Amino acid sequence: MIVLDAVSKWYPSGIRPALSDVSVEIAAGEFVFLVGPSGSGKSTLLRLLLREERASAGQVVVAGRDVARIPDRRVPRLRRIVGCVFQDYRLLPNRTVAANVAFALDVIGRPRHVVRSIVPETLELVGLGEKAQSYPDELSGGEQQRVAIARAFVGRPRVLLADEPTGNLDPATSLEIMDLLDAVHQAGTTVVMATHNAALVDAMRRRVLELSDGVLVRDEAGGGYDTAPVPPLATALPTAPATSPPTSPPSSAPVPASAPSSARIPVQPGPGVPGTPGVPGAPPSPWAPAPRGPVG
Amino acid sequence: MRPGPLAALWWTGLRRNLAMTASVIVTITICLAMLGAGLLLRAQVHTIDRYLLGQLEVVVDLTDDITAAQRTDLEDRLHSDPAITAVRYESKQQVFDRFRRDFRGSPDVVAGVGPEDLPAALRLTLADPRASGDVVVSYTGLDGVEGVRDQRALLQPLYRFLDAFTIGAFALAAVQALASFALIYTMIRISAHGRRRETAIMRLVGASNGTIRAPFVLESAVAGVVGGLCAAGLLVAAKILLVDGQFTRQSTFPLFGWSAVWESAAAVLAVGLLASAAMASLALRRHLRV
Repeated sequence: MIVLDAVSKWYPSGIRPALSDVSVEIAAGEFVFLVGPSGSGKSTLLRLLLREERASAGQVVVAGRDVARIPDRRVPRLRRIVGCVFQDYRLLPNRTVAANVAFALDVIGRPRHVVRSIVPETLELVGLGEKAQSYPDELSGGEQQRVAIARAFVGRPRVLLADEPTGNLDPATSLEIMDLLDAVHQAGTTVVMATHNAALVDAMRRRVLELSDGVLVRDEAGGGYDTAPVPPLATALPTAPATSPPTSPPSSAPVPASAPSSARIPVQPGPGVPGTPGVPGAPPSPWAPAPRGPVG
Repeated sequence: MRPGPLAALWWTGLRRNLAMTASVIVTITICLAMLGAGLLLRAQVHTIDRYLLGQLEVVVDLTDDITAAQRTDLEDRLHSDPAITAVRYESKQQVFDRFRRDFRGSPDVVAGVGPEDLPAALRLTLADPRASGDVVVSYTGLDGVEGVRDQRALLQPLYRFLDAFTIGAFALAAVQALASFALIYTMIRISAHGRRRETAIMRLVGASNGTIRAPFVLESAVAGVVGGLCAAGLLVAAKILLVDGQFTRQSTFPLFGWSAVWESAAAVLAVGLLASAAMASLALRRHLRV
């Protein structure tokens, strides 16, 4: 789904490259953490995937397209298959939750009946069906981030990029957001999440790409936030077990004990409905990619 | 984008930017009103031209001793001249008849003149009645030509007067156009700044460049159309109050009719719409990254 081949990026004012000879391949349906200190090139990498920037050298391929060769007028098509979530949510304050999500469909010319049916459905998926008519400043940070995820997901992208989505959130809320992104992943979306949240990375045990000064220093399946081995903590996360390596319960959890109960909320279609979406063997997931025409 | 969401974007932009939009409309109105005034003055010149076309001509007076060969030669030259569309010969008798008719109010003048006193003439119809100067120069002094008279020359002061006002109106329109462009440019800059969150999100979710620009162009185009309508209103008011109300009684010439007003109004509207939309697109290249 995503291939970086010897990619380097120099900014005109930079004294050293933001990315230096990075080669990596991310398969369709993978979930990848992108870690590294501030300024290590995580955001630059995400910007390259969106064609916000062009690589100075090397090749970036997203969904089979050489990103640098996409003509300018075709770039919007790329961005329709690559959803995006940020630390600061980037919601429109003068629009309701539903209108914020609908905006993403309106501006790509989706017909009204489609917008009217998908938006409430997607808000239900992120657990905000009740708050459709609220304004962003009436919501908590976690709820705002869920709106942002709904907006990124409403067009059913094939890739979701998340740039420190939990950066402004407390640990418990971070877990909820993590759950939500995991549910998006379970639905078949490739997810790349840049983060500083060591607890989440350690708990989820997914593939970890670590950047340091623009160099890819680690590409570890099931890795932790740091290179040093960390006891697996997957069971601290209610929706993670299906894809996490089976482990014995941890002796100490780095996340608050109250997290699991609240973390469950977003991925449940509604109160009292059994089964967690995304878990194999569970009833058909509402997150499954909708047969709603091409997104590319 | 569907019209509904586009209109919603336009409306929020307008509310955010009302004072700026109002000043753009005022400037565009003045600009287009001047443009319309210039067009109406030109229409007035054409009206006078049409009225006088059959009455005032360029007349080539022939000498009495012109030979048949000289006359044929002269007529051939006149016929082959692209500036001249028709040549009509008047014999001495016909010239005398016309003279008597023109001066029938002054029997004293007619009494002293006989048919032999007046030269035979060739009366010319010109392709461009106002370009008579060249024709006069070309045919003066040829064999068999006594003189070339441009009856239209009598009206030169009137034409100069109308031309001056037309040029003045167009010049004012041009100055106002520059002001309008500067204002639209500023309006787009402010609007792009006010909308930067929306445009950033539009870019992110894959809106096409046209969609991202559309609300801005719409904003400017609506200002242009409203300015055009105001200007058209001013033209209609000028026709009713000034032209029909004042000048008809004073002028010896016919004045332009409603069709000229409607043509000018349509031109003014079209210019308002197209120029403001084009200017917005130009400003967007500078102020909006897509």
